[in-house]
Amino acid sequence: MSTYVYGITSSSLPTLPDGTEGVGEPAMPVRVIKEGDLAAVVSDAPEGLRPKRRDLLAHQNVLAEAGAGGPVLPMRFGSVSTDDAAVAGVLAERADHFKERLDALAGKVEYNVKATHDEEAVLHRVMSENPEVRALTEANRSAGGGNYDDKLRLGEMVVAAVKNREVEDAAEIQRALEPAAASVSVGPESTGWLANLSFLVARDSAETFIEAVEEVRKAHPHLDLRVHGPLPPYSFVEPGPSQPAEASK
Amino acid sequence: MTVVPAQQSGGGGGSSGLYDVLELVLDRGLVIDAFIRVSLVGIEILKIDIRVVIASVDTYLRFAEACNRLDLEAGPKRSPGLPDLVGSITESGAKGKSKGALSGAAETISDAFKQSREESQSESRPRARKAAASRRKEEQE
Repeated sequence: MSTYVYGITSSSLPTLPDGTEGVGEPAMPVRVIKEGDLAAVVSDAPEGLRPKRRDLLAHQNVLAEAGAGGPVLPMRFGSVSTDDAAVAGVLAERADHFKERLDALAGKVEYNVKATHDEEAVLHRVMSENPEVRALTEANRSAGGGNYDDKLRLGEMVVAAVKNREVEDAAEIQRALEPAAASVSVGPESTGWLANLSFLVARDSAETFIEAVEEVRKAHPHLDLRVHGPLPPYSFVEPGPSQPAEASK
Repeated sequence: MTVVPAQQSGGGGGSSGLYDVLELVLDRGLVIDAFIRVSLVGIEILKIDIRVVIASVDTYLRFAEACNRLDLEAGPKRSPGLPDLVGSITESGAKGKSKGALSGAAETISDAFKQSREESQSESRPRARKAAASRRKEEQE
């Protein structure tokens, strides 16, 4: 029976609540493998495990339960070992490394911030910053919307201006929130956001961080900020600034 | 064990909240070479376009149209600083909620993402549509 690994923590971690449900359907019961000062939060690995929504949420929930009791190094979804003994072997072999990370992350949680533009508001902003765009918009409008080429020219200009704003706003968000965090990790660029930033925040200064987010919201009404946390420190498990992950096989 | 200090999870509504967090579960976290990872076929959907606004003729025309409709005299109507709906699936407080909301869902994750995107777009807030609505879904295998 292979073993699914959720995360690595200290062996002094308080017991998980009874009935904590892991991945699989029916859900596999979660248990703990202890080895010296360390422990791995695991369950049996279900047959044919795939990244289904409920499994991803189970992974997340187990880590959240474990993380409520102390620092946890979250595994990326889908990590499976041949058996419990092999998990214990990894804990023993890399004990120093794991302990260093657990110490570094003690009392800290991750907040992920993703930002998008409010389209109407960002267009207003672009208009006010670019007299050329505004002039062309007004010219097109008085010509009943303008012909195809006029529209393309305006659209191209606006898109370029909005893209500039995306880059500037991403930098601005990072600059504004960084002082309220212990560390920052820039997530992979992708569809659906102009900024994807993870911040490592001390639990007891979480309020300060949230206030900083509110300040950014107030100062930049053309930005939509989506904040998620406190989360297990997914983006801070490796020492140093974590790199955007490459596509997984 | 559901004590969550300063639970914050808001902004884009429930479904995009799910999408936002699952991206972390799938893409970050510790990788140990001694362990195998399950196949994540279909996950590439997360890594498609680079930017929210994509340069293309369609986008140009759409933005030109949006500018044409824009009320140039009015300022941004959106009142600043109002957090949107809370879509919390983070930390253990989520346990009950996510079960209620998601039980029985057995889509593969790419389905789940597609669905959550569609939901988040169809939730379309009363104010302006997002620039994100321009995102493409060109799948690449």
